Amino acid sequence: MAYILLGIVLLPLLGSIINGLLGKKLSKSNVATIASGSIGLSFVLSIIAFIQLQSAENRVINVDYYKWVVSGMLDVPMGFWLDSLSSLYILVITGVGFLIHVYSIGYMHEDDGFSRYFSYLNLFVFFMLMLVLGNSYVTMFVGWEGVGLCSYLLIGFWFKNHAYNDAAKKAFIMNRIGDLGFILGMALLFITYGSLNYADLNKPGAITYTSATTAIALLLFLGATGKSAQIPLYTWLPDAMAGPTPVSALIHAATMVTAGIYMVVRSNAIYSLSETASLVVGIVGGVTALWAAIIATLQFDIKKILAYSTVSQLGLMFLGLGANAYSSSVFHVITHAFFKALLFLGAGSVIHAMGGEQDIRKMGGLSKKIPTTYLTMLIATIAISGIPPFSGFFSKDEILAHVYEYNKGLWALGVIASMLTAFYMFRMLFLTFWGYFRGGSELYKHLHESPSVMTIPLMILAVLSVIGGLLGLPELIGAKNWIGHYLDNVILIKTYLGLSHSIEWMLMGIAVAGAVASIYFAYQLFVINGVLPVEDEAELKWWQKIIYHKFYVDELYDFIIRRPIDFLGKVVDRFFEKMVFNGINDSISSITLFLGEWIRKIHIGNIAYYIMAMTISIIVILSMIK
Amino acid sequence: MTALILILITGVLALSAEIFNLKKVLYPLSILGILVALGLNFVEWHQPFSWKYSDNMVKFDNLALAFSSVLLVTVFLWFLMSKSYFNEETNLVEHTSLVLFSLIGAMLLVAFNNLVTLFLGVEILSIPLYVLAASNKKNILSNEAGFKYLIMGSFASGFLLFGIALMYGLAGSFDLFTITNALSTDKVPNFAYVGIIMILIALAFKVSIAPFHFWTPDVYEGSPVVITALMSTIVKTAVFVAIMKLFLWYFYPAYGHYVEIIAAMILISLVIANFSALRQNNVKRLLAFSSISHAAIMMLLIIADVRNASTVNALLYYTFAYSVASIAAFASIHFVTGGKEETLDTLKGLMYKHPFIGVSLLIALLSMAGIPVTAGFFAKYYVLNALLMSSYKWMIIAAILASILGVVYYLRIALKLFEVDKKQDNGIIALSTREVFLLGLSVLLLIVVGIYPDIIANTFLK
Repeated sequence: MAYILLGIVLLPLLGSIINGLLGKKLSKSNVATIASGSIGLSFVLSIIAFIQLQSAENRVINVDYYKWVVSGMLDVPMGFWLDSLSSLYILVITGVGFLIHVYSIGYMHEDDGFSRYFSYLNLFVFFMLMLVLGNSYVTMFVGWEGVGLCSYLLIGFWFKNHAYNDAAKKAFIMNRIGDLGFILGMALLFITYGSLNYADLNKPGAITYTSATTAIALLLFLGATGKSAQIPLYTWLPDAMAGPTPVSALIHAATMVTAGIYMVVRSNAIYSLSETASLVVGIVGGVTALWAAIIATLQFDIKKILAYSTVSQLGLMFLGLGANAYSSSVFHVITHAFFKALLFLGAGSVIHAMGGEQDIRKMGGLSKKIPTTYLTMLIATIAISGIPPFSGFFSKDEILAHVYEYNKGLWALGVIASMLTAFYMFRMLFLTFWGYFRGGSELYKHLHESPSVMTIPLMILAVLSVIGGLLGLPELIGAKNWIGHYLDNVILIKTYLGLSHSIEWMLMGIAVAGAVASIYFAYQLFVINGVLPVEDEAELKWWQKIIYHKFYVDELYDFIIRRPIDFLGKVVDRFFEKMVFNGINDSISSITLFLGEWIRKIHIGNIAYYIMAMTISIIVILSMIK
Repeated sequence: MTALILILITGVLALSAEIFNLKKVLYPLSILGILVALGLNFVEWHQPFSWKYSDNMVKFDNLALAFSSVLLVTVFLWFLMSKSYFNEETNLVEHTSLVLFSLIGAMLLVAFNNLVTLFLGVEILSIPLYVLAASNKKNILSNEAGFKYLIMGSFASGFLLFGIALMYGLAGSFDLFTITNALSTDKVPNFAYVGIIMILIALAFKVSIAPFHFWTPDVYEGSPVVITALMSTIVKTAVFVAIMKLFLWYFYPAYGHYVEIIAAMILISLVIANFSALRQNNVKRLLAFSSISHAAIMMLLIIADVRNASTVNALLYYTFAYSVASIAAFASIHFVTGGKEETLDTLKGLMYKHPFIGVSLLIALLSMAGIPVTAGFFAKYYVLNALLMSSYKWMIIAAILASILGVVYYLRIALKLFEVDKKQDNGIIALSTREVFLLGLSVLLLIVVGIYPDIIANTFLK
């Protein structure tokens, strides 16, 4: 087993190294085979690991390879921890990752940085696997930082474009703010509970409520808000769409951004113990879900819409975590990975067909030209909108049922966000695929379906988006909720769904009715009435302008954080750096050099002088004897 | 012990080589002798040998074996570097045998158990070096260096002898065990302390601790590069073992009477060495001051007052790291300058002209400066770590400040390597396989030992 886990993690790294060092000398097909093949093998090994895990004691396999950090009380092994939670994550990462690698072969085919792209992407998968498989918080942190690095590299992949570089830097810096919280939380966790290894922390009674518990939970959650793009650190994710579209699908939708969810579920004992922390997580999640959904309704860039949709869906997952419905959130992570990856890859296919155009105002009527893309995206849109029996319905419904039990106000936030989701997703679908083409006849002739290397992953993901719900069919309809039971041994402190069946039916009904109503409203607006988004910003009403400009959050951050820091930086630079410190440093160095010159000259080369100096020294020394 | 005898035989054979017309095999014979001696050291590990017939004059215990192995490795590397020194037809025999005899003196110094053997060791080590320093007969500077070294060395030997006489006056014996017992009694006459200090002064002169370091820059500068390399390595290793044995063990009952003097000497050395090196333009002179600074750092082990295996380990590690880095640095300079004047400017642009030598020199310098990954880092670390528990904690700060100045002048050399040389006249330096092997091996040793310090630093278990 130790070797299987090692293979899962190291194969992508190997692929990355080969492509990174030799990529320029290999042919494109070799690069593609190495990159996709390493992930594919890793996926096969993940399946084997998953099957073997089922027969393991307590369904946990802990492998230590070597002692990594030993310092005082701190004893961190380098090793892997395979349990119910990480086994699901590695399947999603390698499975969806493999499909996206295959898709990328088609999408990136004309790019000069073909091998560099695959090297980064493989490296990302390596770090992501480290993140979820590591058997301590420190190893998780290695992956956590590593995926941040790869995210940075891939957002700024087309580094000749200055705006893209800025987006990459923004993502990195926002994440660093969160990482600070993660590090502090980790330190406090170590001080409070004496270990950072899952093996120690998962022992019964290892985690009890202390005065530091809430602080640990909130600090770790700050880390999660960075990586998983929640208020207040979410603004990097929409800008991260500067990277190639498959990257958006893999990193900024399906896997990396769900690392925050993974981390909270991994630390579920701490969150379950602290009611305050849970409430904060729930409120932040709920507000983010609604906030991002509102912004998404007025965006024109197809990838931006999907980006805000991701932020919103992640908010929904955190809402579930706040209600301590850990397995439901993980369930939604998985279904979301399927349909959101599909949406992004579909959007990539659209952009591919449109020759790089991302503005939905210039699209329309594409369903006839690119039918496969249209059909698969339709499935994904229905799934994300929460229409039964598609996968998104079951996971979303499970979260909302738990949240209803936990706090009705937060539930309302979730329901409104879900309705808005259905609305803006169908708005995007209608404007893109229905009606008539608005991009000009020149472009219309150019429209073409993507090659099958791109469409086959779409179809596979479409199937998964439809049937993904099977993982967690609710007990309400007589099923077993497999995922809920499967994750049971990871959740240290359990909360049970205690709602009566009638209320559950009612909640389901409200959710479905809301979604259908939203879709109908979008249909009325964009298909029957043929409303088109305005071309010119000036025609927007004042409230639309606010939403279109994303509530001016970037501008606000710029004003209250960046400018004061810039100002402070200038003051420190002009006064302290240039005048005080440079002055002190310069004088220290000139004094030192002066002394050097002076002391050097006492060695004049004359023996008589030397012996005299030595004799005087000897006299002084002998007189020093006590 | 057999290693010592083997080297002696090799030396005598070398002397007689002229008679039997065996000049051509002299060089390989010496290297073979050293390697076999090194192997014998490993065979004798954990089998202490005491020369009982001469009143326990020498004791080849594990400590002596370990340090004599460092000496043998150093001289082995030195021979690899110095082939050109043995190319001249004249004085070939003398050069070889003098180096080997000097090595015998050094090996006696790590094994002495009696003040007579101490004196013999110091003199057998030094006298060949006086001659070797002047071995570049046509160069006035080399003659001057040999002469200066001889005069001032004799001055120091006088003190050593005087000190030994006073110790004999105390104990009525040259045996160190007896002397320790005599120092442990209640009534120790004051002249005994004077004797200890005189021995200290003589040994401080040999390892160039200020204010007895004056000879160092002149002699290092004047001697041929290869001899400078020999002086700066085996002398330091051997005499520091002697200092450690005497001042941390045999003379320990009188520790309070000399520790402050040693501390003062270290402080003066750190200041003088590091400041003087800042503005040096001659590489050999610069490395002379660097060697004074290293001696001061090694001396810190004495005032750290840790009397267990960890100090021996620290000294073993330090001498090894320092010797290998020195040989690598001097070898690089030797290959570049080829006997001409060694100013900083001759190293200009070396990184572009001959990257292999450039990188080797750079790593040797980084190791001397104590930058991690190279062995020099842990060498310094172990010494400063030992100081942490002593009453001389403030000395750590002094040592670190000195190291900062050290980084300045080491990097000043390193910077020269990267400077673009406008004059393209120096021609191409061709390295033989042996020379490539030497530099490669030294650099590898520095890095491997820097990453896995336990290889050497765990030789003596606590």
